[in-house]
Amino acid sequence: MCHFRKFAGPSLAGLLLAGAGTAATAADDGLIVFDWSGYDDPGFFQGYVEMHGDVPTFSFFGEEEEAFQKLRSGFQADVSHPCSQSVSKWWQAGLIEPLDTSRIERWDEVNSVMKEAFKFDGEYYLLPMDWGSTAVTYRADLVDAADVDSLSVFVNPEFAGRISLPDNVDDVYALAYLAIGLSDWTEATEEDFQKASEWMREAHQNVRTYWADNAELSQLMASGEVLVSWAWNETPVTMQGDGYDVVANRSTREGSSTWFCGYVNLANGPNDESKVYDYFNAWLEPSSADYLVNEWGYGHGNEVAMEALGTEVLDAVGLGAVDVPLLAQKPMDHSLRERMIAEFEKIKAGF
Amino acid sequence: MTALAGRVSREARNGLLLVSPTLTYALLLLAAPLALVVLLSFWTQDFLEIHRDLTFENYRVAWTEPIYRALMLRSLKISALVTVFTVILAFPIAYFISFHVPTKRKPLWLFLITIPFWTSYLIRIFLWKVILGFNGVVNGSLVGLGLIDEPLSFILYNQNAVVLTLSHAWVPFAILPIYVALERIDRSLLEAAEDLGDGPVRRFLRVTLPLAMPGVLAAALIVFIPTIGDYVTPRLVGGPNGLMIANMIELQFKKANNAPLGAALAISAMVIVSAISIVFLWLNRRYLAGRGG
Repeated sequence: MCHFRKFAGPSLAGLLLAGAGTAATAADDGLIVFDWSGYDDPGFFQGYVEMHGDVPTFSFFGEEEEAFQKLRSGFQADVSHPCSQSVSKWWQAGLIEPLDTSRIERWDEVNSVMKEAFKFDGEYYLLPMDWGSTAVTYRADLVDAADVDSLSVFVNPEFAGRISLPDNVDDVYALAYLAIGLSDWTEATEEDFQKASEWMREAHQNVRTYWADNAELSQLMASGEVLVSWAWNETPVTMQGDGYDVVANRSTREGSSTWFCGYVNLANGPNDESKVYDYFNAWLEPSSADYLVNEWGYGHGNEVAMEALGTEVLDAVGLGAVDVPLLAQKPMDHSLRERMIAEFEKIKAGF
Repeated sequence: MTALAGRVSREARNGLLLVSPTLTYALLLLAAPLALVVLLSFWTQDFLEIHRDLTFENYRVAWTEPIYRALMLRSLKISALVTVFTVILAFPIAYFISFHVPTKRKPLWLFLITIPFWTSYLIRIFLWKVILGFNGVVNGSLVGLGLIDEPLSFILYNQNAVVLTLSHAWVPFAILPIYVALERIDRSLLEAAEDLGDGPVRRFLRVTLPLAMPGVLAAALIVFIPTIGDYVTPRLVGGPNGLMIANMIELQFKKANNAPLGAALAISAMVIVSAISIVFLWLNRRYLAGRGG
């Protein structure tokens, strides 16, 4: 028995480091941020730029599993940005180290539910930063609002071939659990899992295609090919900006879901930790929250700053309070998640 | 070392010296990783831990679970269809260039055939999405002409779309080997066939086609072997039922935390493709032998 890292490490580490060397040309190489593309927007960390006179060096990943494999095979960065389901996997693989909360100035303002969800062995590992909702999103000019007040719209034969679901196991199971009336998936029993999978099998019959990102879904909905989807709140925000009558309904009878991501301190970071905390502190400033909500339509991890924005702004981007069940995509047991992944693939393959 | 060097002739030493950089490269970057994948396929993984006890369990799962069998058969079916379409599309073009284009224009024609490669494969897939889409070129034209009322949905996000996109992408790879084989045909043989009373069809079937067979075979293998492992195309145009075995292999290595099963699936796919290729080569040899006798 051995750790995966020992086996895959030496062969790839050299190659990847060589690649990182070429990427780290411009910008401040005293801090390397390994992030989703788009998060290099200086609007998010203006305070850091003011303090150090330059933006950090960025390296990008397209999805978390890719990032995970790259980090395990030796890629060195200081900070990264996984989402809720990956954090415990990264922790168990020894990739991340605990946060020194005394060095995070606004730690008390950070959303307490989210930060407590990532406390392992008494230490905090994730600084919750961006979050959003996943909800029924539809073409209001082509679909009757009465049809979309329940998640059963996805199994309604009337919409066969006109719906799209995310190619993302967490969002899809969040939908299925909500549809069978469960809003906390950490309490799901074996029977619930089976029922949710059955529901998905039924919904699969109606799916035109599974969307991988906002751009793909936007194209599908712009042409009118897909009328109803289960989508992140950035889709209605960006599509309304383009003049389409696309609306999200977070208040269906069964509810909607929320996802969240955040920053972690990587264990093998090559640089001095002080810049890591300068970066975290810059992200937690209220101006960053303002920018994230208004420009991107995402929620921010600084709870106090979010409240300061006011309910009107939050409702407009689909992040306000709702009085229906809300399934938060909290971390779950990895063996259950592996079963969800396997089952979702079976459903997609038609079994 | 010196004793060994003494026994090897000077010529052989030069030969070994010449071949060694390539050989080292091949061993290090092809054979070694392949051996590692084979080894990995006999291990097991539990979440993040790799267990190094050797077992056939991954192969048992890969060959008995219905989902893997279904995906493998689907991949074989799609690749076979792509191969057939590609060769059928490529042969007339290669034939035209070889037999009807004046010799001094041939380089220009071959050059024109490579033009699709100037565009990224990903962009070509996206173009097919535009052409086949809900309000795309095909549906737009048909609706505009009043031939259909509702846009056709069976042309995108299914296996048909995968076959179409792959066939388009691989046609140039099939044209070139067939063209080379046709160019090598001694034109006097065709004249001889005509002198002996063969019409154009019989001449083609009895002389041109058998002599072009090595090129057709090369084209078929060049298309069949890589398309079975394609995973970008099914991901983008395959829709809910168009995924292939390579998508499953990727999933096992990443999300499903089961690299050994992914390795076993990859090795299984390799074995199946090799077996089919060998059968194909054997059939071709029999065909040519039958012709010769």
